[in-house]
Amino acid sequence: MKPENLHRALREWEIHDRLPPRFQERVWQRIAREEAQTLINPWSLFSNWLGQLLARPSMAVSYLVLLLFSGLLAGYWQARVEQTHTLEQLGSRYVQMLDPYHTQH
Amino acid sequence: MRRPWVILIAGIAAALLGYFAFYFAGTAQSRAMSREQEPELAWLKKEFHLNDAEFARISEMHSSYLSGCAERCHRIDERNQQLKQLLGATNTVTPEIDKLLSDAAKLRAECHKQMLQHFYEVSRTMPPEQGRRYLAWVQERTILPDSHQDMQDMHH
Repeated sequence: MKPENLHRALREWEIHDRLPPRFQERVWQRIAREEAQTLINPWSLFSNWLGQLLARPSMAVSYLVLLLFSGLLAGYWQARVEQTHTLEQLGSRYVQMLDPYHTQH
Repeated sequence: MRRPWVILIAGIAAALLGYFAFYFAGTAQSRAMSREQEPELAWLKKEFHLNDAEFARISEMHSSYLSGCAERCHRIDERNQQLKQLLGATNTVTPEIDKLLSDAAKLRAECHKQMLQHFYEVSRTMPPEQGRRYLAWVQERTILPDSHQDMQDMHH
């Protein structure tokens, strides 16, 4: 193809398809994201990761439920340990009150 | 962009809330017991499932026993003090040391007898099953001798 034909074809070429909605805004967002990532800021990396992770409702709900149950379990376990310890201590003190020869083992 | 952070903080808050809710609920009983005037007796009531009448009777026995016990403890302290002085002054078993050791052994036997008597009275005040359990528990920690397995092992 001759160069003058190519130039003519390009001049006459028109795009009739419509751009997707908010095309321009998305392009700018992508540019901004790419620029931010090039700085390699750990905080923003974490922030982005968190944003992507918790953007899905199923993940957000799972996260909330997991943390709630972890808290409940830790509280239950800690209370059990402490309750057992207190009861053992009180039992030992009861024996100490009654037995003048009692020594702690 | 704020929404993930809100969810993150809500998760941490939920975990803390769950932790403290279960922790405070789970330790409520022992905290209440520790606040009692005599936590040891409150423990006894809970551990051996005593009703109020049984508990009141056992509390009376307990006070009565402790008054006698204080007097015996005073005598034990006196004997120990005397023995300490005698042991520091000699390197042989003198007749005084011998007598003091015999007295200490008698006093110990007297203490154990009184204590055992108290245990039996307390156990009889409890419901039969709990009484048996109480006796086994308390004898294990007071009257019954410790295991001397370590000493036996050393001799062999």
